[in-house]
Amino acid sequence: MLFNGLNRWLGVFTLIFSAFLAFYAIPNWVYSPSNIRNIVLSPTFWPYVLAGILALAGFALIITKQTPTSDGDTPDIGGMLPYVRLVVLAIIMGLTMYLLPRLGMVWTTMLTFVATAFFFGTRYPKAAIISAVLVPLILYAFFAHVAGVAIPQGNFVRLP
Amino acid sequence: MSFYDSILAGISLVGNVDAFLSLFIGIVVGVIGGAIPGLSATMAVALTLPFTFPMQPINGILLLLGVYKGGIFGGSIPAILIKTPGTPASSATILDGYPLAEKGQAGKALGMALWASCTADVVSNLSLILFAGWLASFALNFGPPEFFALIFFSLTIIAGVSGDSLLRGTLSAVAGLILATVGLDLVYGTNRFTFGDSNLMGGLNFIAVLIGLFAIPEVIAMAWDPTGHLGKARSLGKSWVTFREYKNSFFSIIRGSVIGVILGSIPGIGAAPSAFLSYSEARRTSKNKENFGKGEIEGVAAAEAGNNGVAGATLIPLLALGVPGDVITAIIIGAFMIHGLQPGPMMFVLNVDIIYGLFIGLIVSSVMLFAVGSVAIRAFRYVADVPKRILMPAVLVLCIYGVFAVNNNIFDVGVMFAMGWLGYLMLRTRIPAAPFLIAFILGPLLEDNFRQSMLMSGGDVAVFVRGPITWAFWTFSLIAIAAIYKSVRTAKTA
Repeated sequence: MLFNGLNRWLGVFTLIFSAFLAFYAIPNWVYSPSNIRNIVLSPTFWPYVLAGILALAGFALIITKQTPTSDGDTPDIGGMLPYVRLVVLAIIMGLTMYLLPRLGMVWTTMLTFVATAFFFGTRYPKAAIISAVLVPLILYAFFAHVAGVAIPQGNFVRLP
Repeated sequence: MSFYDSILAGISLVGNVDAFLSLFIGIVVGVIGGAIPGLSATMAVALTLPFTFPMQPINGILLLLGVYKGGIFGGSIPAILIKTPGTPASSATILDGYPLAEKGQAGKALGMALWASCTADVVSNLSLILFAGWLASFALNFGPPEFFALIFFSLTIIAGVSGDSLLRGTLSAVAGLILATVGLDLVYGTNRFTFGDSNLMGGLNFIAVLIGLFAIPEVIAMAWDPTGHLGKARSLGKSWVTFREYKNSFFSIIRGSVIGVILGSIPGIGAAPSAFLSYSEARRTSKNKENFGKGEIEGVAAAEAGNNGVAGATLIPLLALGVPGDVITAIIIGAFMIHGLQPGPMMFVLNVDIIYGLFIGLIVSSVMLFAVGSVAIRAFRYVADVPKRILMPAVLVLCIYGVFAVNNNIFDVGVMFAMGWLGYLMLRTRIPAAPFLIAFILGPLLEDNFRQSMLMSGGDVAVFVRGPITWAFWTFSLIAIAAIYKSVRTAKTA
């Protein structure tokens, strides 16, 4: 394998990202008035400095002593199933974002609660369903009626 | 305002049921949060933050301080019972706490942890009261160059929260600094990385970033391995700590408290190194040194005194200089800002009632911690029984409500999810999240003070070494960098 160390992988990615920042992102996405006399006062100065430090960090990561790519903290579970589960959770989060303005926060979060609890394989389905109903309702009651936050109600069923 | 006037102003602010109830609830939430492995005191503080929005500033901040203090103690409960520290600060407690639990003396270990924690908490709070005001009056002489030098020095705290790799910690910090540049330019008001989206013009919401970085990765980690958390709690046993045992460990407790105060008042060192240093000092000087690591009650006392001694002291740089001492105080800075308060020397002039109100609340918190902790020790079996596969969906829903409530903006929920995936990626690649958050907070302050200094001096960089205060901070920075370099070299040769 060409790159067998975690730091080297990170270093290469960091160098590519710093080059992207310096040569594309900052020139195109950071706007600077044309009449600035002192370069250090320009809105682009600080991002360029950070891109430079990022490049240095990336370079240092590449040349430094390598550490194995296996993760020490997160258990190493074989097979593709964990990755599939991550994709499913990402879909649940994406659907939550899609439904929040349409169904309203209370109904959406109830569905999100049930979906994640069963997706994680809860051994207490009744408790999960009861919690899925109660937790969003209690939070709605607090934020809407105590904190005065305008919780999105959605287009269908509206709560008092 | 005289000292007595300040105290009276503080009493008038917190001398009501709401303030003490907030503190009490905070401690209960903190102990529960710290006692649930995987939830941690940091996440508990982050999740509690949105609930402070409708509260009076003093009550909201007392609630968070209660969570902080409760969380640090709560972490010792699973450390002793199931060998899993609820917070990193409790790691040293395992060394003797778990062997005691194996001998059927978990109740004794937990009791000593509580006594030592409360004693250290009192020492730490007193040091805060004595030193924060003095430091703040000194900091009133600071201008932008002095603050720039101070914040630069504070960024060296990243070394303390970088975990096993300083380089990955640096990478994380630079990423945080870059993310902090999103929004309108501080001087000219031009767009930086906003892509024409009005949601990005005010910069990324701090709460969305911090909850995304610290809470959501735990939910994602649950998807990666839904059964990894399964374990079994131990019974408490019938043996309880005696006053004689407390008296025998008292010197270790006081020494651990002082170590905690000193290390806690230096930004970035945190509770875990303090606990280990206190533990190793206790082992070095104890009459029972051969019993350490096999279930020595003095070891539990020293470790807990070391980590709780930090809890009040980390507020010294926060209140006096506006610089977070660790990641939890970084979150608490967010609470100050949300309530329109700017921690730092001017707060001792403009909001002295809040400062003294906090001091009074903190003193009371030690007593409350003792009461809540005594009950929590017995109730842990119920806390441990909360099924994590129901807890994590609840955390997810709580995050959604909490982040939305900051600005009434669904966009912030999207930012939180995005930061959650970034946080999980960082977790998997062992890039620490704490430097990212600290740099995200300090980044705008660093840039703002840099540019203000340059505007003041007409572009002359000599302004950054204009007086003894700046020289002192540059010297501290050089010493810190040299110490970091030395520790990295030592680690490489070991």
